[in-house]
Amino acid sequence: MIVAAWICLISPLAATALITVGGNRLSRRGAGFLSTLSVFVSFVAAVVAFVALLGDSPSQRYHPSTLWSWLTAGNLDFGLRIVVDPLSVMMMLIVSGVGMLIVLYSIGYMDGDDEERRYFAYMALFVFSMLLLVQGGNLLMLLVGWGLVGLSSYLLIGFWHRRPEAISAAKKAFVMNAIGDATMALALFLLIQKTGSLNFEQVFTAAPSFSNWTANLVALGLLGGAVAKSAQLPLHTWLPDAMEGPTPVSALIHAATMVTAGVYLIVRTAPLFEQAPKVLELAAGLGAATLLLAGLIALVQVDIKKVIAYSTMSQIGYMFLGAGIGAYPDAMFHLMTHAFFKALLFLAAGIVIHALTAEQDIRKMGGLRKLMPLTFIAFLVGSLSLAGIPPFSGFFSKDSILASLLANGWYGEILWVAGMIGTFLTGLYAFRLLFIVFWGEPSPFVREHFHALERDLPGLSMAIPVGVLTVLAAVGGFIQFANVWTPITDWLEPVARPLVEATGTQEAVSSVIAVTLGLAGIGVAWVLYGARTSEVPRLAWAQTLLERKFYFDEAYDLAFYRPAVFVAKGLARWIERPLVFGSVRELAQGVGLIGRDTSRIQTGLVRTYALAIAASVAVVTVVFVAVR
Amino acid sequence: MTTALIFLPVGGALVVWLLPLRPFAVASTAFLVALAEVALWIDTLARFDFDKPGLQLDEQQSWFSDLHVSYHVGFYGFSLWLVGMSVVVLAAATGYAFWAGRDRPRAYYGLMLMLTGAIVGVFVSQDLLLFYVFWEAMLVPLYFLVGVWGGAGRLRATLLFVIYTMAGSLLMLASIIVLGISQGTFDLVNSGTNSSDWIFLGFVAAFAVKAPLFPLHAWLPETYRESSAEVSAVLSGVVSKLAAFGFLRIAIAKFPEPTADFRTPILVLAACGLVYGSLLAFRAPDLRGVIAYSSLAQMGLITLGLFAVNPLGLNGAVLQMVNHGLISASLFLIAGAVERRAATGELDALGGMARGRPALATVLMATGVIALAVPGSSAFAGEFAILAGVFTTGWGYAVVGAAAIVFAAMYMLRLISAVLHRSPGRAVTEAALDLRPAELGIIGPLVLCLLVLSAWPAAITERSFPTGRTLTELAGSR
Repeated sequence: MIVAAWICLISPLAATALITVGGNRLSRRGAGFLSTLSVFVSFVAAVVAFVALLGDSPSQRYHPSTLWSWLTAGNLDFGLRIVVDPLSVMMMLIVSGVGMLIVLYSIGYMDGDDEERRYFAYMALFVFSMLLLVQGGNLLMLLVGWGLVGLSSYLLIGFWHRRPEAISAAKKAFVMNAIGDATMALALFLLIQKTGSLNFEQVFTAAPSFSNWTANLVALGLLGGAVAKSAQLPLHTWLPDAMEGPTPVSALIHAATMVTAGVYLIVRTAPLFEQAPKVLELAAGLGAATLLLAGLIALVQVDIKKVIAYSTMSQIGYMFLGAGIGAYPDAMFHLMTHAFFKALLFLAAGIVIHALTAEQDIRKMGGLRKLMPLTFIAFLVGSLSLAGIPPFSGFFSKDSILASLLANGWYGEILWVAGMIGTFLTGLYAFRLLFIVFWGEPSPFVREHFHALERDLPGLSMAIPVGVLTVLAAVGGFIQFANVWTPITDWLEPVARPLVEATGTQEAVSSVIAVTLGLAGIGVAWVLYGARTSEVPRLAWAQTLLERKFYFDEAYDLAFYRPAVFVAKGLARWIERPLVFGSVRELAQGVGLIGRDTSRIQTGLVRTYALAIAASVAVVTVVFVAVR
Repeated sequence: MTTALIFLPVGGALVVWLLPLRPFAVASTAFLVALAEVALWIDTLARFDFDKPGLQLDEQQSWFSDLHVSYHVGFYGFSLWLVGMSVVVLAAATGYAFWAGRDRPRAYYGLMLMLTGAIVGVFVSQDLLLFYVFWEAMLVPLYFLVGVWGGAGRLRATLLFVIYTMAGSLLMLASIIVLGISQGTFDLVNSGTNSSDWIFLGFVAAFAVKAPLFPLHAWLPETYRESSAEVSAVLSGVVSKLAAFGFLRIAIAKFPEPTADFRTPILVLAACGLVYGSLLAFRAPDLRGVIAYSSLAQMGLITLGLFAVNPLGLNGAVLQMVNHGLISASLFLIAGAVERRAATGELDALGGMARGRPALATVLMATGVIALAVPGSSAFAGEFAILAGVFTTGWGYAVVGAAAIVFAAMYMLRLISAVLHRSPGRAVTEAALDLRPAELGIIGPLVLCLLVLSAWPAAITERSFPTGRTLTELAGSR
């Protein structure tokens, strides 16, 4: 099992190394296959680990393994350590499984790109980093994976590096995530000081003895990392920009896996968060705020990928809600179904973009249902699942989270209302997109530019993953049915025991209301964008507010970037220049050497001194040799 | 063994100076000697027993017996790593000069080799006077290398460099004489600790100038800009580490009480330098400027780790010294390679060099992301340990340091993008080649060392100080 886990981790890294070193000796398609194969190996290894873990009794399902000491100091020793337990295996399966499908899809999507090899090297690097994140057996390894996924995300967002927007977006994503990394690192420093270790077992055992301050600061630091990585308020602004990357990258990194790492972190370090209930409540609150804000912004977006990006933010908001109230299995369940249907939506959108020669503006699209019926079905399944309509997967997972909120007092009820409003928004924006893109007659732009996916290898490599994901998004939810059939909750029991459990009544009430609201959203979308029987209502100020994304970018620019630039300029002007340029003359005066022809004397000075030193060194050396 | 490490390059210098060789033969001889030095270091590494505490591979010859001055050299764990980093960087620098071609080769390579010998000498000296002799012997070749082979503004740069370092050296000499006379010996191992604030401050001043620490860095931007690429690589990669080594070996180990007394002001200055350097690096208009100010920031960080005076901080600082030596040398050599192609280092005039130049793009990207301490890199390991160490001393320093990591991401990504990304800048033509195999052969090994260290930073942190007795060995005893 441990060997399988290590193979799972190392395999994609090996592919990255091979592709980098191989360079031109490897054909472009060869790089694609190598990358896919390596992730496939990871998936098989993850399955092996899963089966092996099934054989253990639940309480025994915890297997750490250390390859070597990574960083040491005095008595401290942080190993290159992984852990195989139910939580890490679940994430390994999701990451390598969805990852394999998306890397396979990339073979078709990136076909003919100039720098395909670099792309596949980066993709494999990402899968390695993400696996390290979820397998890491201490908080330092988790942080290492955390940072490396940020790096791969930067590399892939900026993959088309001649585009200034792509490079700016990549830098923005990296810097915003670096802020999260920094707060996480500070939390780790505090843990080192208090416990002398970063291994999960030791830290969790020591957690109950923390003072209030310590517990809160640690949890806040970790939460900072989580909101940055998962694009939650207030560190969310990088995710929509990240859509500059190739579409499969958006599917893998910015929908299915990396951005949900914040949820994983909260579930993984639940014993630390539980010592700081206020911080957990804050996490749930941020999730609620994000899901509403993103749902609203998604209503006015005109870029097909950005609509899906905002829906990702919104759905992760639900996961934060779940994790924040201690409904860990529900959050993880939603993480899994979301990985299926969101990856599906992105990949289907990728086929649309591909078919329309890289056009992403939905205002130019329309009537694609007739031209690409299969893609339409895939997109429909994804959208229904996203909107939480039974029996599609999103229904089961989202409703569990919402029902758990009802079991969590007045704060939970407020959040529940937010979640319900979000359900309506989800139905509305998801089907606004679907109707605009697929409904009606083909638009002039579509008629002019449309070309279907060919039935060759690249075409198939794109079609197969979409097919598989369609099935998973359609039926993946049946793996857990609240209060009746709960394998995920049982599986995660040893790692993350839920703090709340909704009753059957709560489940039923919540589900009925959520589905009604979701259908209402779809209905409104139908009226406005499908049947177009009614004009889209216009509120100029609201429209502007949403299109400007609540002015977060502008506010951050004003509050952080400009002051930093201002201070840097000020330092250069008022401190650095006088220091460097002023000091020559003053020093020369200090030494008492000013002449009419300053430069000559200064030059002479250098030579004289250098000669003097050289001479003295020579003398000392000679004396040393002679005297001994 | 240790003596051989010092005098092999010195012998090489004499060969180059005295034998009438042709320019090509001179350069190749120098490069071979530099490589032999690396091989000799590897041999030393194999002979060194990391499980044994105390000074190893030591050699002692009485010199001025009346004053108890002796030629006393030897290795501790951490000095072995620093010497290793230095000889690797110096070999790369010599190789780069060989590839780029330098005027007056006999003088040039002779000075490079002398510099190598003197630097190793500083790291292994166990006698204060010997330390000073090597220290000065290191500065003289540098004065000439900057002043004679530098760029257009080299004379001003040299002047600043000489005045600053000389002032520091004189203070150090005074401290050494007072200390040596007062304790009756100049030996570092066979003498106890001292509690004089003034002697301590004399040493600190010399090392703070050489590192440099804010605000004593006035010589740094000009010198790093005007020197040839490989000399800048040596200055920022290796010579600055001699200062950090001095802090550790002499100031901290021999003066525990003054260290405790002056710790707060030194930590504050180091933190200021860290933020100040990062911000200026973010606004610097040229490649060398960014690297130079990031060097200032990194020396601030290393000083934070050293003056945390706990195992995490000290181990982190030693690791980071090695890391930064390799990173900064790679970055300066890459900057040199870019400047050769574009004839400028102005960031505005560069850009778009990634397309069609995979080797350059890969090497710069790899070095850049390691330099900004992406988690998982050896630089991350070093910074993490340093900040975790200084966190226990005062959490505020760690907060400042964590903020500086965000700044580091900003300035390093700016540099990477300015060279590699967007459309080609006005100074970049289609004719600008990718890294040649020779350049890759010189810079590649430095990056490879960084990657190996990234997989296993504990190689250094486990083997720098004897377990559980971080500083006791260094304090010495009577």
